[in-house]
Amino acid sequence: MCNVSRSFRPGLSAALVTTALLVGAGASAGDATSAPPPPPGGTVGYALTDLFWSVYQTPNGKEECPKGFNDGPREQYAKLFPGGRKVNVVESQLKLEGQTWWPSPGPDLSEFHAVQGKYSYGLNLDGKVGPNDFTHPDGTPGIDNGVYRAVGCIIGFRGPDGVEVIFQNKAITSDTFNRTIIELNGVDSWEKDDDVTVTIFRGRDRLLTDATGNKVLPGGTQRIDTRWGKKLIQQVKGRIEGGVLTTEPTRQMIIPWQNLSVPSFQLIRDMRLVLKVSPTHAQGLLAGYADIDTWYRQLIRNDSTHHLSNGQISGISLYKALRRFADAYPDPKTGENTAISTALDAKFTQVFIQHPDGDAAKAELISSLESQQAARVATAQPRQQRQ
Amino acid sequence: MSKVQGIVRTDSWLETKALARSAGLPMIALAAVLLSQPAVSAPAKGSTPAAAPAVSRDYLEVPMPPGFRVEISELEGPVFADEKGRTLYSWPARLLRNGFAGEQKGTPRCYDEVLKETAGLMSPYPPGVLLPELDKRPSCTDLWPPVLAPQGAEKVGKWSIIERKDGTKQWAYDEEPLYTSVLDRQPGDVLGGTSRRHRGDSPVIRVPVSPPPLVPPGFAVTTTVNGRLLTTDRNYSVYTPEDPSACDAACLQRWKPVLAPQTAKPHGDWTMVTPSPGVRQWAFRNQPLYTREGETQLWSLEGSDEPGWRNVYVQTVRPRPASFTIQDTLAGQVLADSRGMTIYTYVCGDDSLHQLSCEHPMDTQVYRLAVCGAGSVEQCLRNWPYVKAEPGAKSDSRLWSVMSIDPMTGHIAPPGQSGAISVWAYRDRPVYTYIGDLQPGDVNGAGTGEWRGQRNGLKAFWVRDDYFGGTL
Repeated sequence: MCNVSRSFRPGLSAALVTTALLVGAGASAGDATSAPPPPPGGTVGYALTDLFWSVYQTPNGKEECPKGFNDGPREQYAKLFPGGRKVNVVESQLKLEGQTWWPSPGPDLSEFHAVQGKYSYGLNLDGKVGPNDFTHPDGTPGIDNGVYRAVGCIIGFRGPDGVEVIFQNKAITSDTFNRTIIELNGVDSWEKDDDVTVTIFRGRDRLLTDATGNKVLPGGTQRIDTRWGKKLIQQVKGRIEGGVLTTEPTRQMIIPWQNLSVPSFQLIRDMRLVLKVSPTHAQGLLAGYADIDTWYRQLIRNDSTHHLSNGQISGISLYKALRRFADAYPDPKTGENTAISTALDAKFTQVFIQHPDGDAAKAELISSLESQQAARVATAQPRQQRQ
Repeated sequence: MSKVQGIVRTDSWLETKALARSAGLPMIALAAVLLSQPAVSAPAKGSTPAAAPAVSRDYLEVPMPPGFRVEISELEGPVFADEKGRTLYSWPARLLRNGFAGEQKGTPRCYDEVLKETAGLMSPYPPGVLLPELDKRPSCTDLWPPVLAPQGAEKVGKWSIIERKDGTKQWAYDEEPLYTSVLDRQPGDVLGGTSRRHRGDSPVIRVPVSPPPLVPPGFAVTTTVNGRLLTTDRNYSVYTPEDPSACDAACLQRWKPVLAPQTAKPHGDWTMVTPSPGVRQWAFRNQPLYTREGETQLWSLEGSDEPGWRNVYVQTVRPRPASFTIQDTLAGQVLADSRGMTIYTYVCGDDSLHQLSCEHPMDTQVYRLAVCGAGSVEQCLRNWPYVKAEPGAKSDSRLWSVMSIDPMTGHIAPPGQSGAISVWAYRDRPVYTYIGDLQPGDVNGAGTGEWRGQRNGLKAFWVRDDYFGGTL
């Protein structure tokens, strides 16, 4: 394996998360003696501070992008309309914008470079090991990450200075529309607990930071958004093993997403969290199957062609790639997959989560969700079969 | 100095005029305000504006040359107009991605030349690309006739006369050259442009020119989709309780009275109340004004969620047509059709130095067709259908109208044309719904088009947003 560059996302790597999971309770036994006491009342809250598509990358993409990086809109335009040829707006700019907003199958504008490497971060979402799966850098086979295969050779999605990496993460701390918060209840131990309840909300408040404004500090307060964010509230069961929280898959998670003042969202089906948890931070992966149309629309609604150009991201080409690598949720009529496996690097910082109407209202809300959760389990239908 | 329409001077007028003079404002007087209607406030849930809109004349009377006047428009409030009542616009310069467009003070740039190529002011597309439909393309002055000054006209106050490159004289206000819009058909129309706030990547639009609002120092008025919102001069919303006597000690922990200085005197709708000895609090139309403790959003409507509290508007728009609804979304509230589907408006300006509009049905439709259906009329009608008006539909609001559209061209249909459809239009532009919205509250089409929907694209019709400062 080559020297892997992940310096742009310091801290616990997905590999460590997975390793911790694999090692399990045996490895955690030694840590238990130094583990902090469980959180007061078994409850701890966190606010999301970083979230971006997990990309395994080697220097200059030598291992995963042997043919180089992809062209963006500027490069494609220059090839389509070389200097000196007089064109009009309709046959050039507007034609490309039309294709961006209403992408269609067919030949690409330029050769697309998908990830060729063996390795990827992520999880084995379907429990299988198939020919299109990656291997985790720690050796775990069967990693499902179709999004990485599509975006891994696009500069804008690579750290540390890809335009998407910078701006989409920046918006998480600078705005509040996308303030995802989670609360863990019933935590009896930071090392091992078989029954933890995880509730996902949206918060309404800015994050507590240091004097620079750049580093998010634990100890802030977040009010639950009960006015506009009700549909975002959901609950899922999880367990802590070796200091790592693993949740069951939720049917879907809507992640409010925003950049450059356009409110959008991502829709992740079968979403599960794998997070190393501590009294002050949680860090790891959010994984599942991204609805392709939602994924793509989020990108092009939040970034203009100008912004995408700065990351050499051709929406026209990327959409075709996402469709090619889609691996889940076939359309009942056409059989075409509508979702694509993915993993996102996620970091959280501890916050105190409050209901705007007080503790009693919060307890009532949590209780009602637990009732819904129980009812949902009792009446669960088999999930749509994945390919 | 000409007389402002409808103004009757009172004792308080004399007092405020004296105040203005003492403040060193030559040639400016404060207009008397007669209207005694209560402060206009949005309903608690920030949805539809109050039923009875105010026709506000709250503006400073400024000296005007003969022939000019002030018209009260429904959305923008008072605007300057020419002798026929046509709204006057300026075109202030603004920096785009690759250079400035618009006019610097004292320098007209709108002439009768028909520009043929893009200017490359935006990115990533280069300059020098041929503009569409050149055989029909108008010049800048075809759409924006300059307001010419007659021989012998003289400077009055902020009104001055500048020379165009062809030697003709043009009126300017605050040194901004003045124009009218061919879209405006009757006094009070402001269809050519707007003063509503917008983001930096939108076209360099024309802005109606208005007299200053009649508010004391420390306050400001902002044009919003719901009306002219009263705020502090730092753009924090001010609120008023339904029961002016209801703010007790506990209430004062959350609501902060807007204090008036000891030197302030009442004028017009602006008075002071004394909730405690020695404390002077501003009141507008007899309702005491407060800001909300802990407010973080500018131009916020959040305080109106508190039972018994309202935002304060100097003037509200008239009620929207009855077939429209208001829906909650993840980011606030949108206007929706009768089924609850979000309404969108289309915004477009071209990449020429003239920044001509491409959003009106009289303009070229090639830009809209590109983003709504990759150039296909049929796809556009499927993806972004017009909001059809029911037979006999009418609107009390001048902002809304029923328009006959030829769906195959996107242009206005002449009377009796076969296949024409009646659609709702806002500010003379058709509105749409989006095929990707599956249920009420979906706003999946917001930001569609070039520059996140700000330049050649579609924007959701937000009536309240709690996250983006009212710029969506």
